[in-house]
Amino acid sequence: MDLAGGGLKALLMGRRFLVVAVLALGLGGLLAGWELSRVGVHQGYAPAQPIAFPHKVHAGDNKIPCLYCHYAARTSRHAGIPPASVCMNCHTLLEKQTVEIEKLKEAVQEQRPIKWIKVHNLPDFVYFNHSQHVLSGVACQRCHGAVEQMDRVQQMSPLTMGWCLECHREHAHIATADFQRVMQDMTHRPVPVAGLDCTSCHY
Amino acid sequence: MSASAMTTIATGVQTLHPPTWVEGNPSLHRITDDIARPLEGRPGKGWWICFGIAFAALLNLGGMVTYLIASGIGVWGLNNSVGWAFDITNFVFWVGIGHAGTLISAILLLFRQKWRTSINRSAEAMTIFAVMCAGLFPAIHMGRPWDAFFIFPYPNQRGPLWPNFRSPLVWDVFAISTYLTISLVFWYLGMIPDLATMRDRLKDRIGRIDKIRKSVFRILSLGWNGSHRTWARYEIVSLVLAGLATPLVLSVHSIVSMDFATSVIPGWHTTIFPPYFVAGAIYSGFGMVLTLLIITRQTMHLKRYITVEHLDKMAKVTMLTGMLVSYGYFSEFFSAWYSGNFYERFHFINRATGPYAWCFYLMVLCNVITPHVLWWKKMRRSVAALFVISILVNIGMWFERFVIIVVSLHRAFLPSGWGMFYPTAIDIGVLVGAFGLFFTCFLLFIRFLPMIAIWEIKGVTERAVHEVIVQEDEAKVAHA
Amino acid sequence: MNRDGAAKISCKGPKESLVRIGEPPVYWKSAEELQNGARPLGEFPGGLPGNSPSQQTEDTRRDFLAMMGFTFAAAGLAGCRAPVQNAVPLLTGSDEIVPGVSNFYATTCGGCPSACSLLVKQRDGRPIKIEGNDRSSLFGGTCATGQATVLSLYDGERLHGPLWKGQPVQWPVIDGQVRDALRAADKDKRPIVLLSGTITSPSTLHIIGEWKKRYPSFRHVVYDAVSLSAMRAANAASFGRAAIPHYLFDKARMIVGLEADFLGTWLSPVEFARQYASSRKPEGNFSTHVQFESGFSVTGSNADIRVPVAPSEMGAVALALLRRIGRYAGVTDVPDSTESFADSKKLDAIAEALWRHRGESLIVSGVQDLSVQMAVNALNSWLGNIGKTVDLARPSYQRAGDDAAMAELVEQMNRGEIHTLLLHGVNPAYDYAEPERFTQGLEKVALSISFSDRRDETSSRAHAICPDHHFLESWGDAEPVDSHFSLAQPLIAPLFNTRATAENLLAWLGIESGHHTFLRSFWRENIFPRQNERPDFESFWDRSLQDGVVVVPQKTAAPPVNAFHGDWKTAAHAIVNEPGRADDRYQLHFYESVALRDGRHANNPWLQELPDPISKVTWGNYAAVSPKLARKLGLSEGDVVSLKTEKGQMQIPVFLQPGQHEKSISVALGYGRKQVGKAGQDVGANAFPLRRQSTVNVTLEKTGRTVKLASTQRHFYMEGRPIILESTLKQVRMESAAAESGEALPSLWPEYPQGEHSWGLGIDLTACIGCSACVIACQAENNIPVVGKDQVQRIRAMHWIRVDRYYTGPEDCPASVHQPMMCQHCGHAPCETVCPVHATTTSSEGINQQVYNRCIGTRYCANNCPYKVRRFNWYNYTENAKFDFNMNSPLGRMVLNPDVVVRSRGVMEKCNLCVQRIQLAKNLALQGKRTLADGDIKTACQQACPTQAIVFGDLKDAHSRVAQLHRSQRQYKVLEELGTRPNVAYLKKIRNTTET
Repeated sequence: MDLAGGGLKALLMGRRFLVVAVLALGLGGLLAGWELSRVGVHQGYAPAQPIAFPHKVHAGDNKIPCLYCHYAARTSRHAGIPPASVCMNCHTLLEKQTVEIEKLKEAVQEQRPIKWIKVHNLPDFVYFNHSQHVLSGVACQRCHGAVEQMDRVQQMSPLTMGWCLECHREHAHIATADFQRVMQDMTHRPVPVAGLDCTSCHY
Repeated sequence: MSASAMTTIATGVQTLHPPTWVEGNPSLHRITDDIARPLEGRPGKGWWICFGIAFAALLNLGGMVTYLIASGIGVWGLNNSVGWAFDITNFVFWVGIGHAGTLISAILLLFRQKWRTSINRSAEAMTIFAVMCAGLFPAIHMGRPWDAFFIFPYPNQRGPLWPNFRSPLVWDVFAISTYLTISLVFWYLGMIPDLATMRDRLKDRIGRIDKIRKSVFRILSLGWNGSHRTWARYEIVSLVLAGLATPLVLSVHSIVSMDFATSVIPGWHTTIFPPYFVAGAIYSGFGMVLTLLIITRQTMHLKRYITVEHLDKMAKVTMLTGMLVSYGYFSEFFSAWYSGNFYERFHFINRATGPYAWCFYLMVLCNVITPHVLWWKKMRRSVAALFVISILVNIGMWFERFVIIVVSLHRAFLPSGWGMFYPTAIDIGVLVGAFGLFFTCFLLFIRFLPMIAIWEIKGVTERAVHEVIVQEDEAKVAHA
Repeated sequence: MNRDGAAKISCKGPKESLVRIGEPPVYWKSAEELQNGARPLGEFPGGLPGNSPSQQTEDTRRDFLAMMGFTFAAAGLAGCRAPVQNAVPLLTGSDEIVPGVSNFYATTCGGCPSACSLLVKQRDGRPIKIEGNDRSSLFGGTCATGQATVLSLYDGERLHGPLWKGQPVQWPVIDGQVRDALRAADKDKRPIVLLSGTITSPSTLHIIGEWKKRYPSFRHVVYDAVSLSAMRAANAASFGRAAIPHYLFDKARMIVGLEADFLGTWLSPVEFARQYASSRKPEGNFSTHVQFESGFSVTGSNADIRVPVAPSEMGAVALALLRRIGRYAGVTDVPDSTESFADSKKLDAIAEALWRHRGESLIVSGVQDLSVQMAVNALNSWLGNIGKTVDLARPSYQRAGDDAAMAELVEQMNRGEIHTLLLHGVNPAYDYAEPERFTQGLEKVALSISFSDRRDETSSRAHAICPDHHFLESWGDAEPVDSHFSLAQPLIAPLFNTRATAENLLAWLGIESGHHTFLRSFWRENIFPRQNERPDFESFWDRSLQDGVVVVPQKTAAPPVNAFHGDWKTAAHAIVNEPGRADDRYQLHFYESVALRDGRHANNPWLQELPDPISKVTWGNYAAVSPKLARKLGLSEGDVVSLKTEKGQMQIPVFLQPGQHEKSISVALGYGRKQVGKAGQDVGANAFPLRRQSTVNVTLEKTGRTVKLASTQRHFYMEGRPIILESTLKQVRMESAAAESGEALPSLWPEYPQGEHSWGLGIDLTACIGCSACVIACQAENNIPVVGKDQVQRIRAMHWIRVDRYYTGPEDCPASVHQPMMCQHCGHAPCETVCPVHATTTSSEGINQQVYNRCIGTRYCANNCPYKVRRFNWYNYTENAKFDFNMNSPLGRMVLNPDVVVRSRGVMEKCNLCVQRIQLAKNLALQGKRTLADGDIKTACQQACPTQAIVFGDLKDAHSRVAQLHRSQRQYKVLEELGTRPNVAYLKKIRNTTET
């Protein structure tokens, strides 16, 4: 008898082998699928910044409104990282000195722009406009999480298309009925509408 | 029903002189020997030459595709007026080739056509390789195959975002993948008994290679033991599969034809496309089967099993489908004229008189005129003639697709958007390369797998036929 | 996906994306700041620690880095696997520059002497889009060339600093050299000459005046490559005023053009196009336009009646009309002349119509011939058009070239008399009729200084090159038409170490105050007093700067315009006795191409790839011959022929041009540049040298060579298809005003859910003149790549909007129609159902949207598009050495619009109705707490269109202009019968054949 062949035969014919093989394949497939689905998703990304700026202290403890520093978010597609001059608005007057504040003042004195690290990155084929959302009354925390409690900013949301659409689907009520239109004309206030068209974000 | 009735009548008539699908009434053991020879012996010079050429073409394909994907679709002659040309022409051509196999193995099986036995195996193999070639083109014609997964419906994080089920391209994906799967299963299933035979023939060989081949055959033959129960179930399974495969033969090319039929372009937007494409597919399929089998029986010394009778039968099918195709051409022109649609009329006049008219006339020559040569029995039984004709059929069918695709696109609605297509070296390289892939696969197949269904062919030898007749007579007597 | 495209731009850190850009611009918020450097913000009382003026330039330079960093970073980084991406904010905040927000500033176009008023979009410190200034009373919209000038700003071929004898030096060195030379020249009274193109800037002319005072031996010679000096001379003789009149086509009911392409290139096309369109409204007044011309020009293609005439017969045409008008006016002794070019009945009718509309008719001639111009003047004055449609009291300063002076200068130079020669905005070594004569002369000049922005044919032969700013980098002003002033302000600090010509002229006069200060003082002293709207200068200045244009009452001391006293008789006899041409010879007709004009823009790839409005040929010029002549000589398209005049000859491929006069051969000037840059180098053949003597006896020989012309349209007849619908004025007037309601065909597809708006376009084919400004505007707005000659030949041009042009009627004198064709945004789009991945769908607002990152490139949509408006990226056109145009260099990519994704290989693209502008407008409405109003959104093509042929708007708003157009009785939709339900409606082309 041909041992190798026989062994092989036994192995192939054995039920246990089949069960194990099927299970292994199944699990492997699931794992691979999950991994693939996370490609390009950087949820939880929290890089160390050149100056360890604590949002907790500013937005949380001292209750500085988000839009005081990120004023561009009102008018621009970019929320904008505040110019050092904005920081200095307060920090020229405040005595408190820490190593990090020193870094800031140093940068200002040397006229050296600060190279912050961007935390929330969207693909370049997505057009996201901050002002559109801010003016429509979307709270910053809705996407950025409770930044006022973060010492180091972290990407809370997955920033996937599906995630965007969840919210957009909620708010996609368009004033189609005449009554709504009339109301809109009377108040002269457009009802903010979350677009579901591709071109709401892709162009 | 009626068809099967006819066949029984036929057998009834031929009771005295049973049709001999195997020449020279060899012993069963001899049959096995003959068919197993290519697998066990060394291949002849003919095989090596063919394989050398085919493999070179395959390598060329590899190079071409790499270059294409590295630099972009621009290396082809396509342009903004003619968005599809060689790529989709080749795709439809190969899908068409892929039709004969399942037709022979499934439909002819249901119709109890005994002559299919010695050709169905290789025809099925051909089907599978052809569909592989076909599948290549949709993948590379986008230029970025790595994005192809968008076309599959699977839960995703984009909303989720599904493919557009209204698009014929999505239907294609399903139709062709199904077709490939079924054909593959059918082919493999049919081979199991013969694989077992090969396994058993190798029992007392001890060479290292033989050991490897033995274990391979052992695995592939799934422990086939040839018991009566096994055989009984086997018969049922193959019948069921045949039932499943039959509608596919018709569906696949119908759906491929809808890539064009559902569009608005004059020359594409036609309701006759599905039947006309299926007929064309079978036509080209049989053309290719003829080509291959003629080569094989010459190079592999299998004249005894692939007889002139077989060729004759296939020639008849070819002629029939050829005439169906001709009718398709005619009705296209007729409906264009009869509809009075301005753009349709212009298109068909342009097809026959425009800059690509020569393609059209070549197509007519090959697909409309050529088949009529086969009215003559002499022609149907002359191997050389059949070989030439089968080649012409393939050329004709390739040009049919080219005419449909390119000629329709190059002069569509707005004259400002008119433009010519000129193929580049890469276009031609890929075309040739696809044949390389196809023939390489096929040559490897006839070298390493039993290319004729041993167990089936044994059922149509004179001996077997006699037994059948005897049984039938007894049955009649008992009935009386 | 677009990763390979845009990401490559964005993946760069701010630094390396800048190193090659040279000295980056200063940010400025106001005139003052540009002068004094950025001042700390108001919200920052004490000023920044260590923010001393000495550091200003450094400081602002870093700001620029910061800005760039921010923009590039924010432009996205999907493709870069490593997510590390920097955001570098401004160090000192600004209340005007908000990252991602565009500002618009008014300025004046420097593309040609027409000096149109512009509005320029500045985004994150970079001018990226040019628009027409609606505040202007003269202009509106732009021309293709004007649109493209923004790309010239980012031209890598521009010099990075001054050169002395070919060596880079610092400005002081040059200044020293020049001052010495001038002193020397002044001492021994050797002539100093400024040779310039037409200068419309009153302040610069003032400076030149100062030079005259300072250096008695100084002289200013104005030279235009394509000049109207004959007309100036004729006007001097006829009306005692050597000026170019200001024409008023909008006041004319009967227009006759003699070889004057006033809608395409002649004098002030944008202005004239606007007037012309306003005088041709089927619903209102509709003028009649007759054009006599040899080649097929844009203007001719719009004429109601176009008569092909050999160049040598233009005089005869003028005479024929003069004779007839004379009869009406009671002048009988107009000599007889041949009238072989047209049957006399037609001429009678034309003359009759002219006379019927005397006082509101207009005859213009672009023929560079004194006697013809005299005859035309006689015609206009006998018809009483002077002061009505021909305004000499407020003349145009847009062409001041003086050929005689130029010829004399060249002679002087060759005699070695000229000591110092300043060259500004001229390139005689390329475009003078006798280039080698000029270059020989140039060698005899003691000191030659060119202000050219690059090494060109002339400047490379000069001793020094003092590169001028691009007009988007410099201050300036212009007076295109008398007392119509416009201001120019910098949109970006100089990219390179260049200096404005005016600045140089001031510096060398010893005035160090700088150009800006001078400009302000000039306006304070000369323009401000002439107006009485604004009491104080500051507010006047700010208002002018903001509007860009000022119209002031005319100077009281304007020289009077005498009545016509020209000696038309001698002119007439001169025409009659003109030496005839041999009948076996042909006549050359030269014209400026709409894209390249006189060749100064040759290195602009957008313009090189702009299809000629008539022939649709790109990347090169050709000899246009009539099909009849071609058949006679056995020529076919692309055959290279050699054209021989007495002295010169050139080799050029042939193009078969229906409507071309069979004895004439038209050749475009402006091609065949030898030294201009990689895009324009040796594209086409230079025809200027052939202008040196009479071009009526030209021989044509086949060379046997053939080249393939890169044309974007190859079939010019409609094959009887209902694509462009035409009608005559009479018919339209007779038709009932009720629009035949285009009943939508039944459809199996469900109606798409409609949102608040339904965007659509209305395109008036009567207004469209085919100038192709929209094509370049779209290219600039939507980051459309240049693909090059080879790809155009392969039918792969990428323009989202194309202007289709069809001929109707006989081959020897066809009528022609232009049709802007872009995505029709079908309600039931054929492209949509076939896309396997939903990459193209109809939005809730009726836009057929193309999603680049979803597209997998099956091209099925393009095949199924009946309009063939979809464009496929066959290659990567960005950062690809094979396509070495603006998208292949960081400098060139600065022109890209950050709001529009750069498409990568294997992606389908097409017009999306400038959806980025729609979204922006919505955002602004939201910021302004108001709803969108009609006219808030203008697509790029609409904004650029000088004739307002394209109207964008909301079809749901019944009062919007576009909705009205869609209800017009002329309204129809292309290929409607396919059931595509387009959102783009066309208005029938109307011709006025009733008059004659």
